[in-house]
Amino acid sequence: MAIKDAPTVDTIDFDEAEAYNPDRPISSLIRTQLLHLHHAEYLSKIPAKERTNININTLHTEGQASEYIQQVTALLHKYGKKSKPARKKASGKKPAGKSKKAKPAAKKRASRK
Amino acid sequence: MSQGLDNLKHIVVLMMENRSFDHMLGGLTQKNAKINGLQGNESNPDGNGDPVQVSPTADYRGQLNHDPDHHFPGVDVQIYGGAAFAPGRTTTMDGFVKSYGTQSPNVDDSHAIMKYFAPQNIPVLTTLATEYAVFNGWFSSIPGPTICNRAFAHYGTSFGNVDMNLFLVSAADKAKIPTIYQRLAAGGHSAKLYYYDQPSSTMEIVNLITDQSFFGVFSDFVADCKSGNLPDYSFVEPNYSDHPAPDGTRLLATDQHPDHHVLAGDNFIGKVYDCIRINPKLWQSTVLLIVYDEHGGLYDHVAPPDCQKDGFKAPESATGVPGLTFEFDRLGIRVPAVLVSPYIARGTVVPGKGEANGRIFEHASIPATVSKHFLGKDEGTVREQNAETFLDLLGDNLRPDNDCVFFPKAMKG
Repeated sequence: MAIKDAPTVDTIDFDEAEAYNPDRPISSLIRTQLLHLHHAEYLSKIPAKERTNININTLHTEGQASEYIQQVTALLHKYGKKSKPARKKASGKKPAGKSKKAKPAAKKRASRK
Repeated sequence: MSQGLDNLKHIVVLMMENRSFDHMLGGLTQKNAKINGLQGNESNPDGNGDPVQVSPTADYRGQLNHDPDHHFPGVDVQIYGGAAFAPGRTTTMDGFVKSYGTQSPNVDDSHAIMKYFAPQNIPVLTTLATEYAVFNGWFSSIPGPTICNRAFAHYGTSFGNVDMNLFLVSAADKAKIPTIYQRLAAGGHSAKLYYYDQPSSTMEIVNLITDQSFFGVFSDFVADCKSGNLPDYSFVEPNYSDHPAPDGTRLLATDQHPDHHVLAGDNFIGKVYDCIRINPKLWQSTVLLIVYDEHGGLYDHVAPPDCQKDGFKAPESATGVPGLTFEFDRLGIRVPAVLVSPYIARGTVVPGKGEANGRIFEHASIPATVSKHFLGKDEGTVREQNAETFLDLLGDNLRPDNDCVFFPKAMKG
């Protein structure tokens, strides 16, 4: 048995070029995202000289907003805190839901820095 | 324990944006009467007092040029028909057109809020809903907008917020109420929040400020599915905006937030499903939940039920409803939710409010389920501890490949 045996269902094609509109005015959701990321620029440890200094009130379209969002997201990743990485379960270990108590993860782990 | 649960290694949640149950899945009642959608005669009065009936004429875009109100006061009007706050108010679910009428240039435009999709027009979501399990009673966690509702999926609470403001979790709360990602990591399990790409980023800004360890992008999700390295728990966010890819090609928003193209989102759901479906080992050990964060102001006929108080209170100044201090004791409006696994029987309908053996789910059901399965304990917030979990829907019978659909064109997108 393989995927080739699966019954298929077609998705519906549409004119992506016609639908694509980076000049669409931003929704309240993206406006909120801009505000949050603007706060994040100043709340995080991004050095002042690397902040975008972009006035988010000048961003009106999805295309404009996405450029700003990209810049700040990249900076947050660059300067943000990275806590202990999500640890992989040891091979073959069952989810804790099957036992009464979760077992501790292996002691030695590669750093993710 | 069922065979499906015994084999389960990965839980994947895809959370879409701003569509109600009836708007997306209401038309399925005509195919399966057990699905609590639309009979076709439901109506709301418009600004002239004339009834506006539901109709299967929702379009992919262009009908909701004004983003329908889904902030707390607007949803209050939708649920209570505009009646002023008073203890014991009756839920009427007849204020949707009235609410949209305040945003529409004329009365006729306000009727769009009652339109829903004919099932054949959104084939991926409706196929998955009928091929696997659909929930009649999955509600957003708060009768309000995106950010506070999504918070319930990550934390099991919104820390008292009912709006879109950035909430910064205090050190005390952070220690008391860690995210599901932090809890999993502490328990030796892997978890990742995959946002689409950096220009789209994430709505989970609080974590992005404080901790980047749990983030990936959608291309990582695709690769992790292919290589079999999917974390124990994955939360996938769609693309929130139209923007160019690094190579200059067009990337359409896939979140289905009005007025983004609904088919772009339907195809994206298909791609997420296919990424799991195409890897045989992953397919047999994964459950995929497709759910919407809130209803986006669009009509649904089921009144949100009361729920366990959250322990937080939102004052009148936050709710924007005169006289109403919200104690998080009522859920938000119903949203589409579909659970996929080869261990789920075709045509499963999970009964909801007012039905025999009805069960009420909300976004706190997500961390509650993940925690229960991987950490083996019912922990987390009050709402999580009172939330229904959904892995009991996995049975003993593994459906063969020739019984589980595939969307070949979605993978090419």
